Amino acid sequence: MDYSDDFDAVRATSSTAWEDETEDIGQTSLQRLTRWWINERGAPDILVWQAQLVEELLDSLHNQATMVQHIRSDPRTSEQEHFRVVLVQTEMERVKFLIRSYLRVRIHKIEKYAGYIMREPGVQVKLSSGELTHAQKYYDLISKYFHSSALEGLPENMRSLDEQLPNGRSMITEPDKDRGVFVRARKKCENVRLPNGDSLTIEKGSIHLLRYRTVEDLVARAEVELI
Amino acid sequence: MFGDQALILINDARRSTASDTLLKYNDETVRLVRRELRVLDSDIASTIGDNLAAPTPPPGVMCASTFYHIAIRRNIRCLLAYHAHRIDRLKDQYWASGGALPHVFNDQDTRQKLSPYEVDFLRGYNSLIMEYRSDLIDTLDIAAGITHPPKDLHVLVQVVRDCGTIHTENGTIDFQKGQRFMVTRSDVEHLLVQGYLELV
Repeated sequence: MDYSDDFDAVRATSSTAWEDETEDIGQTSLQRLTRWWINERGAPDILVWQAQLVEELLDSLHNQATMVQHIRSDPRTSEQEHFRVVLVQTEMERVKFLIRSYLRVRIHKIEKYAGYIMREPGVQVKLSSGELTHAQKYYDLISKYFHSSALEGLPENMRSLDEQLPNGRSMITEPDKDRGVFVRARKKCENVRLPNGDSLTIEKGSIHLLRYRTVEDLVARAEVELI
Repeated sequence: MFGDQALILINDARRSTASDTLLKYNDETVRLVRRELRVLDSDIASTIGDNLAAPTPPPGVMCASTFYHIAIRRNIRCLLAYHAHRIDRLKDQYWASGGALPHVFNDQDTRQKLSPYEVDFLRGYNSLIMEYRSDLIDTLDIAAGITHPPKDLHVLVQVVRDCGTIHTENGTIDFQKGQRFMVTRSDVEHLLVQGYLELV
C-alpha cells in the first residue's frame, strides 16, 4: 500500500524548524497553506486566494479517503495497517480543519468588507469565483436588509449606504491597513520603506512590529510571514 | 430630540455586547428615530426656505441648517450601527450552531427577539452559505466547528438530549439520553455543536 508518502508528510509538518522553511521548494502544500492560513488570520486585508494549494489538498484528501475506504474494507489488512489508517484519518481531519478555518476567516472578511470589494475591482481578483459570488450576493442581501428595516420611509436623500462624508469618512468599511502586525522575515529584506520615510533592512529570521501597509507587498511575495 | 432616541439604540447595542445576550428588537425606538429623521428633514427645508438659491445665505440660516444636517447624519449612523450590530450577533449565533438555521429558529427565546426583517435576512444568508458550502460538501463541511483543532479521531460522548437514530459511516446509532458512546468525531460534530451530545 502506498501511503508512506502521507506519513512522511505528517512527520515533516510536526518536526520542521522554521529555519528550513525559507524556500517554497521542498515544502508540502500543507505547510504552505498553513503559512497562508496564519497570514490570512493576521492580516487586516484580504490576501490572494491560494487556489492551487487548496485544490491540491482537496484532491489528496479525496484520494486518501478513497484509499482508506479501500484498505478498511479489505479483510486481509493487518492489525498494524489498521493502526496506520487511524493515523491517516486523524491527519485528514486536521487538514480539513485547516482548510475550513482558512475559508471561514476569508468569508468573515469578505462579509465585513463586502461594500469595499464591490467598489474595488483590484480586490475582486484576490477572491475565488465562489467567494466573489458570495461577496456580491451578501452585499445585495445586507443592503436590502438595511433598506427595509432601517431606511424605509425616510426621505430619498438619506437612504444611500455608500456616501463619502465631508469629514473624509466613508460609509463603506475598509480594511485598516495601518494596524500593527508582527512579522518574521523569511529572507533578508532590504529597503523597507517606513511611513516616516526611513528605510529599514529586515534580517532573515528577525521579528518586527510594523504597520501592515509597510509590509503588504512583502507578505504577498511571501518574503515575510505574519505571526 | 436631537439624537436622544438614537442614543438609546446605541446603549442597547452596547449592553447587548457587554452582557453577551441578544436583546429584543427595539421596534418602538427605531420607529421614533425614523420619525425624528423625517421631522429634521422638514425642519432643514423650512430653515433654508427661500435661501436655497442664495450664493451666501445669512449666517443664521447656515448655522441652523448645518446643525440639523449633523443631527441627521448622527441619527442615521446610530440607526445603521444598531442594525449592523444585531446582524453581526445573529451571524455569530448562526455559525455557532454549525450553520443550522432551524436550530437558531427553534430556540423560542431567540425567535421572539427577532424582527421580521432579521428573519428574512437570516433565511437569505442561510441560502447563500448553503450555496457556498455545496461546492465543497463532498470533502469537507465549512460550517463545522473551528474553535479547536481535532486531536483524536474518536471521542467519548454523553447524550444530553434524545436525538433519535443517526446514520454514520459505520452504521446507525440510536442516541438516547444518558447513554455514552465512543464515536468518530466528524460523524457527530453537528450534534455536539447543537447541544445534543457533550464530550466526556
